[in-house]
Formats: sequence, C-alpha cells, structure tokens
Amino acid sequence: MNRPAFRGVKPPRNPIITGVDLLPRTDPKTVLRINDISVSFDGFYALTDVDVEVKRHTVHFFIGPNGAGKTTLLDIICAKTKPTAGTVTFYPVGREVVRLTGMKEHAIVREGIGRKFQVPSVFVNLTVLENMVLSLKGHKGIWDSIFHRVSEDEREQIDTVLQKVDLRDRREIKAGSLAHGEKQWLEIAMQLVQKPELIMLDEPAAGMGKAETEKTGEILKEIKRECTVIVVEHDMEFVKQAADTVTVLHEGKVLTQGNIHDVLADKTVQAVYLGRGGER
Amino acid sequence: MRRFREDTPLLLAVYLVKNTPARRPNGAPAWSRVLIDLAQFFNTVFNGLSLSSIILLTSLGLAITFGQMRVINMAHGEFVMIGAYVTYLTQKLFLAVFPESLFSVYYIVAVPAAFAATFLLGSLLELTVISRLYGREIDSLLATCGISLIFQQAARHIFGAQGVNVTSPKFLSGGITVGGCTFSYNRLFIILFVALILFAMWFLLYRSNFGRQMRAVTQNRPMAKCVGINSRKVDNFTFGIGSGLAGLAGCSVALLGSIDASVGQSYIVNSFMAVVLGGVGKLLGTVLGSSVIGFSGIAAETFVSSSIAKAIVLLIIILFLQKKPQGLFTIRSRALDE
Amino acid sequence: MTKLKNQAGNLCFSLIIIGLAVMPLLMAAGVAESPLIIFLGKCVAFSIVAIGLDLIWGYTGILSLGHGLYFALGGYGMAMYLKLRATHGAITEFMHTGGLTALPAVWKPFQSLPLTVLSVLIVPAGLAYIIGYFIFKNRIKGVYFSIISQALTWAAYSVFIALSPYTNGNVGITEIGSLAGKIRGSANQGRLTLLFYVSLAILALIYATAAFLVRTKFGKLLIAIRDGENRTYFSGYRVSRYKTFIYVLSAAIAAVAGAIFVNFNGSITPSQMTIAFSVNMVIWVAIGGRGTIVGAVIGALLVNLCEYNLSSGGMIEVWQYIVGGIFCVTILFFKGGIMGLFREQIPAFLRKLKVRGGQKVES
Repeated sequence: MNRPAFRGVKPPRNPIITGVDLLPRTDPKTVLRINDISVSFDGFYALTDVDVEVKRHTVHFFIGPNGAGKTTLLDIICAKTKPTAGTVTFYPVGREVVRLTGMKEHAIVREGIGRKFQVPSVFVNLTVLENMVLSLKGHKGIWDSIFHRVSEDEREQIDTVLQKVDLRDRREIKAGSLAHGEKQWLEIAMQLVQKPELIMLDEPAAGMGKAETEKTGEILKEIKRECTVIVVEHDMEFVKQAADTVTVLHEGKVLTQGNIHDVLADKTVQAVYLGRGGER
Repeated sequence: MRRFREDTPLLLAVYLVKNTPARRPNGAPAWSRVLIDLAQFFNTVFNGLSLSSIILLTSLGLAITFGQMRVINMAHGEFVMIGAYVTYLTQKLFLAVFPESLFSVYYIVAVPAAFAATFLLGSLLELTVISRLYGREIDSLLATCGISLIFQQAARHIFGAQGVNVTSPKFLSGGITVGGCTFSYNRLFIILFVALILFAMWFLLYRSNFGRQMRAVTQNRPMAKCVGINSRKVDNFTFGIGSGLAGLAGCSVALLGSIDASVGQSYIVNSFMAVVLGGVGKLLGTVLGSSVIGFSGIAAETFVSSSIAKAIVLLIIILFLQKKPQGLFTIRSRALDE
Repeated sequence: MTKLKNQAGNLCFSLIIIGLAVMPLLMAAGVAESPLIIFLGKCVAFSIVAIGLDLIWGYTGILSLGHGLYFALGGYGMAMYLKLRATHGAITEFMHTGGLTALPAVWKPFQSLPLTVLSVLIVPAGLAYIIGYFIFKNRIKGVYFSIISQALTWAAYSVFIALSPYTNGNVGITEIGSLAGKIRGSANQGRLTLLFYVSLAILALIYATAAFLVRTKFGKLLIAIRDGENRTYFSGYRVSRYKTFIYVLSAAIAAVAGAIFVNFNGSITPSQMTIAFSVNMVIWVAIGGRGTIVGAVIGALLVNLCEYNLSSGGMIEVWQYIVGGIFCVTILFFKGGIMGLFREQIPAFLRKLKVRGGQKVES
C-alpha cells in the first residue's frame, strides 16, 4: 500500500477522532483538508460536519453572518479549540502528511501554518524589528534564542517583508505606538517572515480605510504565489478583489462553496447573508 | 445541610481506615467500640464543619471582592484583624461603662460595630485606592499588599505587639454533651452565624435589586453605566460589603484565640485557596471550596500533626488545580490574551 | 537611543559596585564600622534575589509571592554546612532535643563544601522545576500563580517548623560563622573584607548574566510572553518551557542570595521563608523599577539602607508606614518605579516645561 507515513503526533484524546486513519487527499493540489469537523460548546454546536478542502496557492475566503463559526474553524485548525469530532490534515510540499488535530499550537506553527488574529495581537512593548525577529522561522528553542544571532540573510528577509507592508522606516518604533492598520500589517508581516505554507488571516481588513483595504488585497494576491491564504472577512469588496475560492458558512454548516461569481449568484447565499447587508 | 452530604463519603472513608480491625486487635465488646467510634466520628464531622465554617466566613468577603469585582484584596486578612480588634474594644468599653451583669451583651453590640467599622474603612479604601485599579488584577494585589503593611503597623502602634484576648460572652461559654460528643457553644454559634450570613448574602446577590446592579457592574462596567446604573456607588458599596464580611469574620475569630496584628495573615492563605478552588465568581463554589479545605484538614489531622496536615491539604488542592485551573466551576472565555 | 539607555543602566550599576567596593577601604581607614559592612553584605544578597525576582516578574510577568522559599532553602543549605563545620560533623544540640541520636541522612551531604554548594543550587532549582513544570504546563498564570506560590510557601513554612528535630523549628539554625570564619568584631576585618568582595563579585556576575540575557532574543521573548502569552505560543514557541526555565533560573539566583545572606547574618530562621519576607522582595523590585535589572538592585539597596538608617534612628515604628505608602503610590502612579521616573516621568515633565516655556516665548 502506498500510504503516506503518519508522523509522530500523539493520538488525540477524543475517542471519536481516534481510529480515523490518515486521510488521502482527493486532489493533489489540496494543502489542507478539513474533514467532517464538528465542535460543540456545552451542547451548542458551533460547527457541524464541516468538510472543506483548501487548494495550494489560492486565496480561500470563509464568509458568513455573525456566529456562523468562521473564527471557530480557524481556532480548530491552529488548535486553539479542540474539535468534538473530525480531523484536520495538512499536506506540506516535499514532507510527510501531518494530522493537525491533537497537536499543540506551537507545533502546528512550526509545521508552517501561521495565523493572524482578529484583534491585532502584536507584542506592544517590543519594536517592530524585534517583533519580526521573534517571528522568524526556526530557532525556537531556549538555547537558540539565547545564543543564536540573526544572520544577514534573515535580516534581508525581514527587510523585504517590511518593505512589502510599508513598515521599513518604522522598524525601531515600539509596536504599541503603531496605528491600528499598521498593527494589522505588522501582524501579517510577522506571519510572512515565518515562511508559512499556509497563512490564516482573521478579518485582516477590519478597521482599515478603503485604500488600505485595497492594498491588503494586493498583498494577499502577491503572497499567494509563495503560500496558501485562508481569510475570514466581512467586507464583500475585499472578497471580490482577492478571492479565488469562497466558502459560505451559515449556522455552523457549509452553505455553498465555489468561485466568487457563483457564490454571489447563489439564491440561498443572497437570502441568508448578502440580503442582510453583507454587500454595502 | 448540603455541605454535610457532599463530604460524608470522604469522612466515612477516613473513619473506616481508622477503624480497621488490624489497628485495634483487642478491646471492649464490639458494640461499645462502635458507639465510641461513632461518637468520635461525629466529633470529627463537627470539627470539620466548624473549621469549614471559619474558613468560609473569612472567604465570603473575598468571594465578593475577588470573585465579583476581580480585586485581589491582600488586605482582607487585615480587615479580619480590625473586626477582631473592634470586638476587643467593645468588650473593653462594656467593662468600663456598664455593670457586670450586662457584660455578655457586648458581643451582640460588637457584631454590628465590627461590620460598620470595616464597611466604612473598606469603602474609604475603595474611594482612594481600589477605584483606580479596576481591571488591573496584579496591581490591585500589590497595592493592597502595601495597605496591609500599613494596617498591621497601625494595629501594632495602637494595641502593642502583644496579643490581646477576648472573653467569650456567658451564653457562648461551655457546650452541650450528647452521648460522648462535646459541641462547644462557641463553635455551634460560628456555624449558625455563617449559615445566617450565607443566606443574607445569597439574598443580597441573587434576589435583591442591588445584587442585580452589582452583578451588572462587575460583569460589564461600561454597559452598566449606559443603562443608568451609578457604577461608582455600586462599586463602593460592593467593596464595603466585602470588607464588612471580613469584619464579621473577625468577630468570630476573636472568640477562638488571641488577637494580634498578624492574626489575619493566618487565615488569608486558606481563604484565597477556598475561593480559587471553588471557582472564582461563584458563591456556591466558595462554600464547597472551604468545606473541602476544612474537612480534609481535619481528616488529615487524624494521621499527622496539624501543621503538616495543613500543608498536605494545600498541596493536594494545588495538584487538583493543575487538572482544573479554573476551579470546580468554570467560566468560558473566548479572548486570546486577557 | 536604546543603546544609550542600556549603557546608562550598566553605568549606574558600575557606580553602585564602586561605591560598595569602597566601603571596606573606609572600614580599614577607620571611618566605617564593621556592622555596616555586614549589613551591606546582606544588602548585596538582597540585590541578588531582587535581580532574580525581576527576571520573572518585571520581564516575564510571573509574580511570585513566595520567592522567600528559595532564598531560605539556599540559606538553610549553607547554614547546615556552617553548623556542621562548627560542630565538626557531630550531631547538633537541637537534634538531641528533638530525639535524634545520629546525624540524619539529609544533613550528611552538608559535611562537604562542594556537595553543599551543589545542593544549594540543585535543591531549590529542582523544586522550582517541579512546581514550574506543572503550573506553567497547565497555563496557570496571573494572580492565580501568585496565590498558589503564596500557598506553597506557606505550606513549606509550616512543614519546616513542624520538622523541628531537623530544622530547629522556629529558632532556625543559629550560632554559625561564615565561610571565611568569624567576621564580627574589629579583629576579623580582613576576613569580612574578603567575604564582602567575593559577594560583590557574585553580584556583578549575576548582574552581567541577567543583563546579557535580557538583551538577547531570549529576553525579548520574555517580554513577549509577559505581553501576550498566547500570541507567543502562536509564534511557534513552547512558552511553558521558557517560563519554567526562567523560573528555575530565578529560584537558583534566590538560593545563591540566601547562601550569601547566611554568611553575613550568622543565622537563618524560617522568617526568611515567610510570605511577608517574599512580599518585601517584591516591594524592592517595584520601588526600584521592574523590568530593568539595575532597577531591582537600586530598589533592594535603597529600601534596605533607608530601613537601616531609620531603625538606628529609632524610627523603626514609622518605617512600615513609609514603605507601605511608597509601595502603594508606586503601584498606583509610577509603574516603572525609580527607574521609570528617570526614563519616563521626568523626561515627560521636562518636555511639558519646554512646551510651556516655548508657548510663553511665542505669545
């Protein structure tokens, strides 16, 4: 049997999850497979049997009304929340397949999956540059962090990424004194410098003006050449500008999925989401 | 008597372990043994109940300031101390002014006096210090640490470093003996007293209009302001109540031993653990937490010396908190970094 | 700008060290008394433990209200060695009183100096590792950690008192000399000077290590953990390991401080293990300025020097009011302590003055 090897991850405690063997992907382009994920908070199902495949080098949007479970889904992928049932599997390039469900947060990050949170959470008492250095790929151990020096190469990387988000001139400034939009970009930059294969952004355009939003969209299109992007967003203009694939969630279930035009034309989507003022 | 039932299995276990035949190979006929052991068992239960009620009494105020307002009041022990000293002062006043026949009445006066004194002091403290510290838990802990130093020194200044003693009022001295068990009135009174306060608090928190306002303010201060609640006043009153409860605890503590400037310190650790163990923010949790600490303390004391027993109980609780860091009752939060 | 500030801290520390180093010379010249030097030696020990506390509290945001435990453990280790040296390895009097007939096994390693030094470091560090490992792995933080650390110290305190045949209970281990021999009295000034300089060297070494650590990426990580623990997890760091590491390091530093303290104090009592003493340490760091290594040193020295001067002036009664009051005000209004005053409040005030002056000129 030509089954991909399953790498050293403890089997999750949840009995429903154990026994599910490693999932083969149906499409070689798939980078992440969310398989029948359900999660309940004290009996309330925030997600029910969500099944989505994310394709490599695409910008994949999750949209839906409030409480649809978008953020919860990201929480599950990066292990902030444990699913009640189902698995998430990650298919990195040139490496073995990884089952993310049951892994610890930091281990998932080290596999190459980054996340930006809804509320900008940069380290406010460190400078922009220090924020970036902490986010560099590798050297996450204690001894490394004491004795390892940032190489020329890494410095250049940081510069390039900072250039991309227009923060290069502000590298010595404390992150806490940046404007809201700049913090959002810094957090995106911190994810980019990790060189992730998959990057998850929770409402990257929240609190941004029109020009800034557009620029964020351009950045997304640019970074999808190197990695895959998952975005949760409300701003439909932004979705139209940057989306390759859109998944609409509603009350914890997948309503529909496809490219932006099909989704916008869908009658149910219009009824439950867009009709409520999603398109302003 | 819900508490009693919750802990019965544990105590029964202790009782059985203690009384296995191997430990008592010879002795009187079986039935008399059983009677004596039963008496001992009830004694243990009574001691556990009374220790739990003292811990509960000192924790109730914390359950309000820590549990509801999220202020870590390290000076809570000093409020207990102040309550105790007020009791002592009332006694002195009665000795000096009133005839001896009225002496026992002092305690009845001391209870409201202690509450009033600590309530006012707490309310003053809230106005000057605590009100600047809402939402800064660690800072509230530190600032009240400083306050506690000042209070302790003040007590030493006024009353001297030597401990003082309170004479129990006549109606609380002695006890009743039922079939080999002695129940001292002192401790019976404390148990009753706690039950009464607990009921009053439950009513205040969950059944009165003020309780609703208070919970509204502590859960969401800006929103409460928006719906027209005078949050400053509510905060002040709430902290006052928490401190006043400490003062009431001081009244009972005064009956148990000598009073000095550091008397509050010996209660504070257990009280904090009781609140944390029960789950911050839950009245019932605090009740459970203190009875777990009280009963297991008494149970452990049957095997080892009392100071080691206390240490063991604390260690077990800390181990338990590893499994359930939020205590017996959990509250869910969705924020990333609070 | 940042570099300048770092250098300012180091410069400040160098001045302190020089100032302290001059004191034995003054004693030799007859200007200073030997009790003062002994007291300053204790201050050196306090500064060391303050550095340790600052690393976990000021930088990492772990407020321990029970660091006295580690300080006392280090102190007891050293005191046990010194006691056995005084009795030439024989069983002590309090053990006799406690009903022991032979030297207990836990005391045996303290017959040799190398083993003592090793256990002074290993025992507190090991204990801190066990405590830290579980607490940090289970993500107990903030005030919950503080309350638990307080409870643990209290538990250890009662156990120490209960085990009086081994620890001499409330009295502690008394009537011991120092590693250099007797240091009290004018005849032993040479030994005192030696001991003092060695302690000073240890302080300098620990300061240098701490200052180096906080300037590396590791130091930035500590701040990152303080400001956003979960965010640090999501940057791929195993935060619990970092926290355990710095907690263990801090405990070891506290133990070293305790061992130095015993040498100058000539005794160790369980009062060094109390919550009150642990809170004192927190006060030193808060007043000096948390989050700066030199601030911790300044705080420890300043608070203790003030206390020393006031108590010899008969003002000991008001001292606790003063320190409690200053501590409260620091927490309420000057989060950065004395260092913060120089770094933020005073520059801000000067700027204000300048702006006002400028307006006057314009109008």
